[in-house]
Amino acid sequence: MSTISAAISISAAAAVVSRPAGRRRHRGRATFHCSTSAAGERQALFSRIAPVYDHLNDVLSLGQHRTWKRICVSWSRAKMGDRVLDLCCGSGDLAFLLSQKVGLYGEVMAVDFSRQQLHTAAYRQEQRWKLCYKNIKWIEGDALYLPFTDCYFDAVTVGYGLRNVVDKSRAMQEIFRVLKPGSRASILDFNKSSSLFTASLQSWAIDNVVVPLASGYGLTEEYKYLKSSISQYLTGEELEKLAKEAGFSVAKHYELGGGLMGNLVATR
Amino acid sequence: MRRTASMLLSHAGASAGRRGIPQALADVLVCPLSKKPLRYCEATGSLVSDAVGVSFPIEDGIPSLVPKDGKLLEDDSEKSEQEPITRDSSR
Repeated sequence: MSTISAAISISAAAAVVSRPAGRRRHRGRATFHCSTSAAGERQALFSRIAPVYDHLNDVLSLGQHRTWKRICVSWSRAKMGDRVLDLCCGSGDLAFLLSQKVGLYGEVMAVDFSRQQLHTAAYRQEQRWKLCYKNIKWIEGDALYLPFTDCYFDAVTVGYGLRNVVDKSRAMQEIFRVLKPGSRASILDFNKSSSLFTASLQSWAIDNVVVPLASGYGLTEEYKYLKSSISQYLTGEELEKLAKEAGFSVAKHYELGGGLMGNLVATR
Repeated sequence: MRRTASMLLSHAGASAGRRGIPQALADVLVCPLSKKPLRYCEATGSLVSDAVGVSFPIEDGIPSLVPKDGKLLEDDSEKSEQEPITRDSSR
């Protein structure tokens, strides 16, 4: 892959921004204020980018994010008639794919922390009318306090959301709780690569392609957040460990997009 | 066929009435804090958790079940002797 095409590919991948969906349970006043503040800031960030989120995803990923999202849904093993959850649903890309998978007799619960993103999703639902889309329910909620009973879902997907959750361990426990035994969580996000080359290229692309492009929409700071969020995220191995600590019997992280993206598949 | 399906769905939605969709939400969602059932309060158009004494608003058909957005029950119109509906989550 030439340097130029690699850079474009990476910038395309790096452009897909995810949604915040939770906050940490307080352990002390300072920690509580810090985590609440962080979650609140992320919520505000994703609410600000909501109007151009989908467009920028397409432009900056050259449409590749659609492929990765199809893979995420496929690996969740969601099927006709299932009841599924799309957590950190944002503007609904994964929810719409799940809707088609589970059909009119299935159910899709789509949860996000940002009401603005949910409004965008509901608008798209109306505009991109398909009969099966009636099976989607949009819910403003917190990934750390899911409003569902135990063992409720046949599959859970998270697309570019876990990285932005303040307490990832708690979120993983909630995902585990609401999944039926034997069912899967499929969690797509940027890959925090152990490869120095990949990590450097990713960083370069964010600085030199993603942020400059985003600045054209007045969203420089919002997309600068992407770089720090990736550096603070977990590697594939760490994600597998997190899933197993939450109780999942099997957890495997797969790299996609030349190592720029990753998808964790965890089975309860 | 598409126009007919659209019309049927619109009619179904209308006939379900304003209570239909929120009640359906109350049937499938639980309190994010207690994980106990919710009930729909017509007076306030909100989902009420009697277990923790909090109500959660529904705006534009989208329920807000973020704990920080819950409102403590103070108004008698939100409180009820009605038992929460028991729901079977298994299939």
